[in-house]
Amino acid sequence: MAPEARFVEEPVIGDELIHQGLGGLLFWGDDSALDEDSHVERLLDRISNGVLADDRRSAMTQLQQVVAESSSAQLAFGAMGFPVLLSVLKEESDDDEMIRGALETLVSALTPIDTVMGQKNEIRPATMNSDLLSRESESIPLLLSLLSEDDFYIRYYTLQLLTALLTHSPNRLQEAILSTPRGITRLMDMLMDREVIRNEALLLLTYLTREAEEIQKIVVFEGAFEKIFSIIKEEGGSDGGVVVQDCIELLNNLIRNNASNQMLLKETIGFEPLISILKLHRGSAYNFTQQKTINLVHALETVDVLLMGGPEGEPTRDANRLSNQAAFAQNRILDHLLMLGAESQWAPVTVRCKALRCIGSLVIKNSQNCDAVASKLVGEEPHAEPALNAILRIILRTSISQEFTAANYVFKCFCEKNADGQAMLASAMTQPNSISQRNLQDDGTLSFGSMLLQALVTIEKNEELEVLQVKLDAAMTPLGSPEPLLHRLVKYVAFAASTKTKDNDQTNTNGSRDGSYIQPIILQLLVTWLADCPNAVCCFLDAPSHLTYILDLISGSHACVFARGLASLILGICVLHNNSNENGRDSFAIVDAISQKIGLTSYFAKFDELQKIFKSHFSTSAPVKLPTRSSSASMLDSEEVENDGLDPMQGSPVLAAIIDPTFVNFVRRLEGEIREKVVDTYSRTRNQDAAVPAELEQRNGEVDRDYIARLKSFLEKQCHDMQDLLTRNATLAEELVRTAGSGALEAITEKPSSGRERLQSEALRHELHGAARQLETLKVQKAKIEEEAGYYRNMTGKLEADLKSLSDAYNSLEQDNYRLESEVKSLRKGGNSPHYDLEAIKAEARDEAQKESEVELNDLLVCLGQEQSKVEKLSTRLVELGEDVDKLLEGIGDDAGLPDEEDDGGD
Amino acid sequence: MSYAYLFKYIIIGDTGVGKSCLLLQFTDKRFQPVHDLTIGVEFGARMITIDNKPIKLQIWDTAGQESFRSITRSYYRGAAGALLVYDITRRETFNHLASWLEDARQHANANMTIMLIGNKCDLAHRRAVSTEEGQQFAKEHGLIFMEASAKTAQNVEEAFINTAATIYKKIQDGVFDVSNESYGIKVGYGGIPGPAGGRDGSSSQAGGCCS
Repeated sequence: MAPEARFVEEPVIGDELIHQGLGGLLFWGDDSALDEDSHVERLLDRISNGVLADDRRSAMTQLQQVVAESSSAQLAFGAMGFPVLLSVLKEESDDDEMIRGALETLVSALTPIDTVMGQKNEIRPATMNSDLLSRESESIPLLLSLLSEDDFYIRYYTLQLLTALLTHSPNRLQEAILSTPRGITRLMDMLMDREVIRNEALLLLTYLTREAEEIQKIVVFEGAFEKIFSIIKEEGGSDGGVVVQDCIELLNNLIRNNASNQMLLKETIGFEPLISILKLHRGSAYNFTQQKTINLVHALETVDVLLMGGPEGEPTRDANRLSNQAAFAQNRILDHLLMLGAESQWAPVTVRCKALRCIGSLVIKNSQNCDAVASKLVGEEPHAEPALNAILRIILRTSISQEFTAANYVFKCFCEKNADGQAMLASAMTQPNSISQRNLQDDGTLSFGSMLLQALVTIEKNEELEVLQVKLDAAMTPLGSPEPLLHRLVKYVAFAASTKTKDNDQTNTNGSRDGSYIQPIILQLLVTWLADCPNAVCCFLDAPSHLTYILDLISGSHACVFARGLASLILGICVLHNNSNENGRDSFAIVDAISQKIGLTSYFAKFDELQKIFKSHFSTSAPVKLPTRSSSASMLDSEEVENDGLDPMQGSPVLAAIIDPTFVNFVRRLEGEIREKVVDTYSRTRNQDAAVPAELEQRNGEVDRDYIARLKSFLEKQCHDMQDLLTRNATLAEELVRTAGSGALEAITEKPSSGRERLQSEALRHELHGAARQLETLKVQKAKIEEEAGYYRNMTGKLEADLKSLSDAYNSLEQDNYRLESEVKSLRKGGNSPHYDLEAIKAEARDEAQKESEVELNDLLVCLGQEQSKVEKLSTRLVELGEDVDKLLEGIGDDAGLPDEEDDGGD
Repeated sequence: MSYAYLFKYIIIGDTGVGKSCLLLQFTDKRFQPVHDLTIGVEFGARMITIDNKPIKLQIWDTAGQESFRSITRSYYRGAAGALLVYDITRRETFNHLASWLEDARQHANANMTIMLIGNKCDLAHRRAVSTEEGQQFAKEHGLIFMEASAKTAQNVEEAFINTAATIYKKIQDGVFDVSNESYGIKVGYGGIPGPAGGRDGSSSQAGGCCS
C-alpha cells in the first residue's frame, strides 16, 4: 500500500514507473486509471475533511458511483478508502444518510464488475477489497452493531456487505462473527425483520452455516428452526417462492452434519412442520412449477438427511436413525412419500425419485416401518393396490434409469435384514415370473424388468443364508415350469447379449433404456446365488452348456469388462463350492477348463480388472455435492447428465446404483477364497486319497490275492493321477511360457502372477517327484510280490496234481469197491444153490487142471525124450572126437550145455 | 411434544467440574465416569412438570475451556436459566466463580435465573470447599445454591427442577414478557399459560433449595 500511496501523492512523476512497477501485478484498465485514481483520492479527501455535510454527502454519492462502475476505481478505493469509510461508520452514527452512503459504497467496492473477465491470473479488485476489509479487526463487530440501527437501508446494506464478505473470505468472517458477542443473535433477529431484510439475512445465514458447526448450533439455539418453519408457512409451503427454497437450504445446512441439531429438532419442534411441507394441497396437486419442484426436492433432502441419523462415524448414529425413523413414521410421512413417489402422475421425476429414496431410508433396518410399507395400500378404493406393487410396477415400466434405481433402492432397503419381507416377496415372485415367461418372446424389455426385480430381490435375499433354502425351493419349482430358474437365468444372460448386439445393429430405436446393464445384473445374481451354495452350483452345472457358455463369455470380447469379471467369479464359485464327484463337473474339471480355455493368468487378471472398476466407481461417487441456490435451478435436468458423465460402468447409472459396498466386500472375500482354492486344487490329486504307507501293507487276515488286487487298483489309480498331473503340468508350463513371453512386454504387471505360476508348478514338480519315487518303490514291491506269487502258484499246481491223482486213485478205488459190492450183491442173489455147484466147479476145475497138466507133462516128456536123443547123439559124436563125455557132463546138472556147443562152433 | 412453557438453560463453569455429567444424569439418568472433553456446546432436552404443567427444558452444556469462551458466550443471552457449576474438591473452580458470574451478567439478560451447584459432593473426603462457603457466595450474588453429585444423582433432579420452578414463579409474577423469546422462554401450545395456574402455585417438587 505504501508505494501506491506515495505515487498518488506525486502523480506526474511516476507515470512510466507505475506502469512498469505495477503493470505485471495489477490490472491496469487504461490510461484513465490515473485519472480515476486521483478522482477517488479527491473524493475521499472531501469525505474525510469536508466541512459542509451536503458536500460530504455528495462526495460519498459520487464515490459510490465511480466505484460501482470501474474496477480501477475499486482498486484505488481499496488502496486508501477503507480507513476513511470505517471511521465514518464508527463516528457518525447519527448521520444516517452518510452511513447509508458509506455502506453502499463498500458494497459496490466488493461487488465484482463483469467487464474484466478474461485473464485468469489478474487480481480481482472486488476480491482484494473484500480481503482487505475482512482483515480490519474492528470491521465485523462494527458492521454487526449496525444491524441494530433503525434505518432500513443501513440494515439492508450491512447485510449485503456481510454476505459479500462471506462469499470471498468465509473463514475469517465466521471467526469474526463467532468472537463477537451476540453477533449471531443480531443476525437471527434479522429473520424477524421486514421481508427484504429477512430474505437477505436468510441468504447470509445459509452461507454462514454451510460448514461451521458451532455457528450451526448457535443459530439453532437462537430459535432458527421455529423461525424457518414459520417463514415457510407464511410463504405458502412448497407452493412458495425462492424464499422457501432458501429456508429449506438453511435448514439442511443446520442438520446435515450436526447430530445435536437433529436431536433438538426432533425433541423440541418435531418433524410435523417438515412433513407438512410435503403435503400436496388440494388444487395444487397437479401443478408442479419448477420452483415447487425444487422446494419439494430440498424438503425431501432434509427428510433423507434426518433418516440417515447423523453424520457418518458418529457413535450414536444408529440409535438416532431408529428414533428418527420412528418419529417420521408416527407423523405418517409414508402417505406423503407414497403420494409423491408412486401415486401422483404429475410429480416430476426428480421429486418422484427423491421420494422413493426417502421411502427406502425410512424402512431400512427398521422392521416396524418395513411392515408398515408392506401393508400399505395406495390409490383410490376400487383400484387400491399394495404400495410395494406400485413401486414394483415402477421398476418394470419406467423408462428413466434414475427412477429405476430409486425404486430399486426401496426394495433393496426393504429386503435388508428383513427375512419376513423377503419371504413375502419370494412367495409373490411366482406371479410376475409367469408373466415374464410369457412375454419373453414378444417383449424382451418387460420381462427383463421383471427378471431384474427378481434378480435384485434374490440378491438381497441371498445375503441371508438362512433363507437360502427357501429361495432354492422357490427357484426350483417356478410356476408350471419344470425348468429350474437357474437355467433360465443363464438363458437370459445369453439373450441379453444377443439383444445388445441387435440393438447396436439397429442403433437402438427406443434409446431410453439401454440393456447393457441387464447382463451384468443377472451375472451378479448368479454370483450371489451360487456362492456358499453347493446345491445351486450342482444345479448350475447340470447343463454342460452352461460351463461352456461362461467360458466363452470370459474369453470373448463382446461382453463388457464388468460382465467378464462377474463371469470369472461364477467359474471361481463353481470351483470353490463344488461338492460334485461326477467326472467333468467336479472342481478339477473346471480348473482344467479354465486353464485350458482361458489361462490362469488372464483368468486372475479378470479379478484385478473387476477390482479396478470398483475402485474407480467408489472414488468417483464418493463426494456428495451440496445443493446450493445457484446450482439448484439447473439441478433438475443436470442430475441425470452428471450421473452419466461420472459413471465408470460404461455409461449405465443403473449399475452404479447396484454395486454397493456390501457386494464389493463380498466379491473381495470371494476372490481370495477362489485364488486359494485354485491353488489348493492344483496341489491335490483328483481322488483326494493320498497314498498312506500303512495302507500299502498287507492287512491282517487279508488274503494274498485280494491284497494283490487292491495294490493293483491302487497302482492304476496312481498311474491315472500321474497322467492327470502330467497334462496339467503341461498346460501350466505352456501358460508359464506364454506368460514369460508377454512378461517381457509387461514385466511389472505380470510378474506377480507368473511368479505364482512358477510356485505352483514348482509345487507340482515336487509332487511329481514324490509320486515317481513312490511308484518306483511300488514297482519293486510289486516285482517281489509277483515272484512270491509265482512260487506259490507253482506249489499250488503241484499240490493240485497230487490231489488229482489221489482223488483219481480214490475214485477208481471207489469204482472197484462198487463193482465188488454189486458183484457181491449179485452173488448173494444167486446164493441159494451154491454148494454142489461149487463142488462141481471145483471138480471141473480140478479135472481141467489135471488135463492141462497131463498135456503139459506129455509135452515135457516128449521134449525130454528129444533132448535125451540129442544128448546121446552128441555124446557119441564127442566120444568120437576123443572127448571125455562123462567129464563134460558132470556139470550139466547146473549149467546148460551151451559152452559145449560154442566149443563145437569154435572147433 | 406439547408443553406449556419451554425454558432454555445453559450449564457453565470451569472445565472438568462435571457439567456434561450433570446433564447426562438429568436427561439419561446415567453416569459416565470418563467423559470426553466437550467441544463447543452439546445439547440435551427433557420434559418436566411444574405446577401440573408440562415444561420442556432445552439445555446447552458448554465447554469449560477458555478457548471456547467466545463460542459459549453466544448462548448466554438467549437462556432463561443457568447452572453455574464448581467442583467441591477443587478450590480453584470455586475461585473462578466470580469471573464466570461477571461473564454471565455481561452477556446474559438481567433476569436470567442462576443456580450455583457444588458438584461431586459424593467425594466428601476430598472436599476443598465447604458447604457454607458455597452458601455464602450464593447469598452474596443472589443465586440459588445446592450441592449435588452427578455420580449418585443426588440433587441433580432438584437442581434443574428448582431452577425451572424459580423461572416459572417469575413468569407468574410477571417479571418476563413471555412473548419476547430472547429471554429464553417460549409459550407452548400444550398448556394454558396465565393466571389459571394460580399465583401461589409453587413447584410441587421444589424442596431442598438452599438459597
